[in-house]
Amino acid sequence: MGGGSIGRRDDIQYEPWYKWGVLFLYIEMLIAIGVSIYSLYMAFTGKGGFPGKH
Amino acid sequence: MRNIRTHKVEQLIIAAVAFFWCFLMWFATAAFSPSIAQKFNLTVAQMGILASSALWSAPILRPVAGYLADKIGAPYAFTIILVVTGLMSIASSYATDYKTLFVERAIVAVAGISFVVGIQHVAQWFEEEEMGAAEGLYAGTGNVGAGTGALLLPRIYGTDYSTAFFHLGIVALIIAAVMLLRGVPAKSAERAEMAKKTATLRDTAFVWTRFAAIALMFAYAMSFGLEIGMNAWLPGYYARGFADAIKELGFETISDVQIAAGTFAAVQSFNASLFRPFSGYMSDLWQRKGWTPFPIISKALPYSPRVHWLMFALLSITTTLILLTVAGLSNNVVMSVLILAVFGVTVSFGTGGTFAIVPLMFRERPGTATGFIGGVSCAGGVVYPLIFGYSSNIHMGYAYVAIFMFIPFMLFYAWAMHWDIHPEDHGIGSKEFWLGEKAHMSFEESKD
Repeated sequence: MGGGSIGRRDDIQYEPWYKWGVLFLYIEMLIAIGVSIYSLYMAFTGKGGFPGKH
Repeated sequence: MRNIRTHKVEQLIIAAVAFFWCFLMWFATAAFSPSIAQKFNLTVAQMGILASSALWSAPILRPVAGYLADKIGAPYAFTIILVVTGLMSIASSYATDYKTLFVERAIVAVAGISFVVGIQHVAQWFEEEEMGAAEGLYAGTGNVGAGTGALLLPRIYGTDYSTAFFHLGIVALIIAAVMLLRGVPAKSAERAEMAKKTATLRDTAFVWTRFAAIALMFAYAMSFGLEIGMNAWLPGYYARGFADAIKELGFETISDVQIAAGTFAAVQSFNASLFRPFSGYMSDLWQRKGWTPFPIISKALPYSPRVHWLMFALLSITTTLILLTVAGLSNNVVMSVLILAVFGVTVSFGTGGTFAIVPLMFRERPGTATGFIGGVSCAGGVVYPLIFGYSSNIHMGYAYVAIFMFIPFMLFYAWAMHWDIHPEDHGIGSKEFWLGEKAHMSFEESKD
């Protein structure tokens, strides 16, 4: 250990694709949260499972 | 190298689609296991063997796939995997006896080794500052193939697994053709040549003996290895460990209990896959912000914040694993499942965080390193369920794994990442011993 810290890199410039990539990953996260909430609601209310029917 | 006009995003998309389809084929057998069991009158033990056969080839063949990706280029390695597994999937649709079907589906399961090929491909195209998000988008989107198969295949094809296997094989051949036509091994001929030069047995031995590679392999065993182990373990765990609580929710029959228990397990798997790109993005963010909060681990490496992000992920995984034991011992199914959902997210932090580092640390040997780290770690998927299953109390296995395996793994990781200069050079035997004259050849020399 030792040496210095690399510190903040505010100078990093991302290419245009990057913002679309980040948007896509946020959509994937929302799908995961949505599926989790829906599935668990179905399970905890005794209505069914992963989204299938009871 | 081929002279095709392309863009790295195109290469990312075709790699992600190919990987997604490979994962779909990999877990298609599991999606139809009740139908297969019914048709061939399989015992519970035979079903267990069929399920576990999907994982047999990964620890051995993933390193080979990584080596192949460096040697001949990822698009060609992808094409070989897609053609072989696609044709075998088509053949399995005509199987009339169980032995033939079992062997053919075990060969189709080889599709799972494609993960390392795509990681190598993305590493050959993207720049350092965007590596986390790029690798996360590739791996996370592809991983969803497993959940998508479980969710959609039985709904589309019912119990007709033969037609499903046939269609999956045909599409695999189409994707192979696209890969062959549009895939380009690297951003530059020099970069492709560098990977090709380092695809040797000596380089492989060098990577496998590096402390940093072993530490990253442990990190991936703590995340992806645990994820696939939990996929196999969790449905049975909830059905047995919370039988009364699930009954109180209104699930009376065995099939209903299986649905509820399977739901809880699927939430973990879905979160672990779909949050993975976010983890890659977080790795990029820590890198940009320069966050390095942990002691011991180097703060001076060009990618130090990514190493610290992974340490945070490993701590999160270990903590939530212990909390699963706490929830289990208190017999609180709601708390257990909520912790499990968070656990899935922490697992994604580990998987995404690991492969935001590997291509940067092993820039000269991306396929070989990915094959080792992504391959050997899959053994965790076999080991953890055994520990969980043999624990005296069904809820205690998580704590045993966290305390007796994960804490030592994390300490080793922190130690292996303490060097400020080239931590990947330290290991059993010197660089000169393994590589001879090539020891001082670096990626910079071949950089475009």
